[in-house]
Amino acid sequence: MGSERVTSGDAMQPLPLRLIGVVSTACGVLASFMILASVLITCQMIWVRFVLNKSTIWQTEAVIYLMIGATLIGLPYVQKLRGHVSVDLLENMLPPRMRRGLAVFTLIVTALMMLVMLFYGWEMFYLAWSRGWKSETVWAVPLWIPYISVPLGLFLFLLQVLADLWATIARLDPQSLEITQDRRC
Amino acid sequence: MDPLVVGGLVALATILVLFSGVSIGVGLLIVAAGFLLVFDGARSLEALPEIFYGELNSFALLSIPMFIIMGAAISSTRAGPDLYEALERWLTRVPGGLVVSNLGACALFAAMSGSSPATCAAIGKMGIPEMRKRGYPDEVAAGSIAAGGTLGILIPPSVTMIVYGIATETSIGRLFLAGVLPGILLVCLFIAWAIYDTWRRGAGHVALGGVTYTWAQKIEILPRVLPFLAIIVGVLYALYGGIATPSETAAVGALMCIVVAILVYRMYQPAALWAVLRDSTRESVMILFIIGAAGVFSFMLSSLFVTQSVAGWIADLDVNRWVLMAIINLFLLVAGFFLPPVAVILMSAPILLPIITSVGFDPYWFAVILTINMEIGLITPPVGLNLYVINGIAPDISLRKILAGSLPFVLCMVLAIVILSIFPGITTWLPDTLMGPAQ
Repeated sequence: MGSERVTSGDAMQPLPLRLIGVVSTACGVLASFMILASVLITCQMIWVRFVLNKSTIWQTEAVIYLMIGATLIGLPYVQKLRGHVSVDLLENMLPPRMRRGLAVFTLIVTALMMLVMLFYGWEMFYLAWSRGWKSETVWAVPLWIPYISVPLGLFLFLLQVLADLWATIARLDPQSLEITQDRRC
Repeated sequence: MDPLVVGGLVALATILVLFSGVSIGVGLLIVAAGFLLVFDGARSLEALPEIFYGELNSFALLSIPMFIIMGAAISSTRAGPDLYEALERWLTRVPGGLVVSNLGACALFAAMSGSSPATCAAIGKMGIPEMRKRGYPDEVAAGSIAAGGTLGILIPPSVTMIVYGIATETSIGRLFLAGVLPGILLVCLFIAWAIYDTWRRGAGHVALGGVTYTWAQKIEILPRVLPFLAIIVGVLYALYGGIATPSETAAVGALMCIVVAILVYRMYQPAALWAVLRDSTRESVMILFIIGAAGVFSFMLSSLFVTQSVAGWIADLDVNRWVLMAIINLFLLVAGFFLPPVAVILMSAPILLPIITSVGFDPYWFAVILTINMEIGLITPPVGLNLYVINGIAPDISLRKILAGSLPFVLCMVLAIVILSIFPGITTWLPDTLMGPAQ
C-alpha cells in the first residue's frame, strides 16, 4: 500500500535511501490511519453524546493527540511525495545546473532548521517523561505520549530530507529537477 | 532596534527565504528562529517546539482534515461529471445554457470538494470539450472553468475560511454564511461576462442552447448527484443549528461521504479508498504543518513587538480607512500571486486583523474580501494553478489563450470587491439574519 512512487529510479537507489523511503511511506500509512481513527472516534463521540446522552471523557483529547501525531509523523511522507508547497518561481527561472544547486541549498537549510527543532523537541519530550507530567484533564494522559511525536516526527523528517539531499547531490533523483508542486487549498 | 524596523526586516527576510524555494512551513520556522536568535538570544529557541505543538493542540483544527476528506472522497468519484450532466440537462433552456450550467456546476462542485484545481479538472474535463464542440470561443470555455474553480475557497464549506477562522478566532459558521451571497454574486458576474463575451466574439447563436432533454433524462440523473449535496446541506444545517461544532459535523460528513462513495459510486476497492485517504493525509499534513509553523512565526512577531507596533503605526498614520483597505487589498493581491491562500492568511491575519477591526471594518466582511483576493491569485501567473490544470485538460488551447480568457474574470472579481465594499450588507446580511448580529 502507498508505494505508488516506487519507480525504476527509486529501484536504482542505494539501500539506505530505499530504506528511508520505506520508513517514510510507513509513516504516511500510520498518519493516514491516525486521521481515519480520529474520524471514527469523533463519530463515536457524537453517538455517545447525542444518541446515548452520556458524557464523553477521552475522545476529544484523543482526537487532538491523533491530529498532532498525524501531522508530525506525516511530515517525512509528505516530504517524500514533494507535497510541502513552496514558491518555485526562482527555481523555474534557473538553468538546470543552478536549479540543482538551489535544491541542495534549500535541503541543507531545511535539515539545519529541523535539527534545531529536533534538539529542543527532544528536551520537551524528555522533561515530560522524566517528571511524569500528565494532562490536566479527567483522563490525565502522561504527556510524554503525545510529546514523543515531536522528536520522532522531526527526526524521521530530517532523515527523509537528508536522503533527498543525498539523492540530489548524487543525481539519483530525477524528480529533484522538476519538483512538481500543487497549491490546492 | 525599533520594532517597526524589525518588522520591515522580517518582511524582507520572509520574501527572500520563501523565494529560495524552501517549503513554506520550514521557511516560516527559519525566519522566526532567525529573528528570535538575533533579537532575543539563543534561549528563546527552546520554546519553538512547544509553541508549534501548542498551535496544533486544538480540537478546532480537526475540521481541516475532515473537510479535506469530504472533498477528496467526492472528487474521487464521478460526482463532478454527473453534476455537470445534471445541470446541463436542467438548464439547457436558460439563455446561455451551457456556460451557465458549467459555471453552476463549478460553483456547486467547488463547494462540495473545497478544492479549486479538483473542480477545474472534474468539470473542465467534460465542460471544455462540450463548450468548444458547440461553438463557444476557446477563451470563454477555458476562462469560465478556470474562474469557476476558484469559487471553492469562498463558497462553504471552505478550508480557506476555516483557516481564517482559526487564525483570527472568528466563528467558522458565521464565516461560511458570509461567503454564500458573495459567492452567488461572483457566479452571476462570471455568467454575465461569459455570455457577453460569447456574443462579442460573434458566437451569440450558440449561447442560446439548442439541445433539449426529455423529463425522463432530467429525472434519471438526480439520484447520482443528490446524495453528496444532501450531505453538504446536512453538515451545514447541523453546524448552524448549533447541534455540534464544525469539527464534529465535518467528521460525520467525512464518514458519510466515504460511505456514499462506496455505496452509490461503488468505490469499494481498497486501492481507491486508500488513494482518498492518502491524498487527504498529504494535504492535511501540509496545511497543519504550515499552521504550526505560522504559529511560531506570529509568536516571534508579537514577542519582538512587531504586531503591536505595526498596528499602532498604521493607526497613527490616520489615513482614510478606504485608502488603507485599498493598500491591504494590493498587498493581498501581490501575496496571492506567489503564495497559496492558506499561507497568506496565516502569515498576514495576526498583523492585519487588529488593524482592520480598529478602523471599524467587519472581520467577516474582510474574510470575504481576502478570500476573493486569494481567488484571483489562483488564476493569475506565475503560480495560478488553475491555468495549468486547464492547460493539462485541454492541451490544444494555448496558455496565452487561457490567460486571455481568464483575465476578464479577474476583473469580475475586482468588481465584486468594489460592489462588496459599497454594499457590505451582501456579506453580513445572511449571517446576521440566521445567527443574530455579531458581538
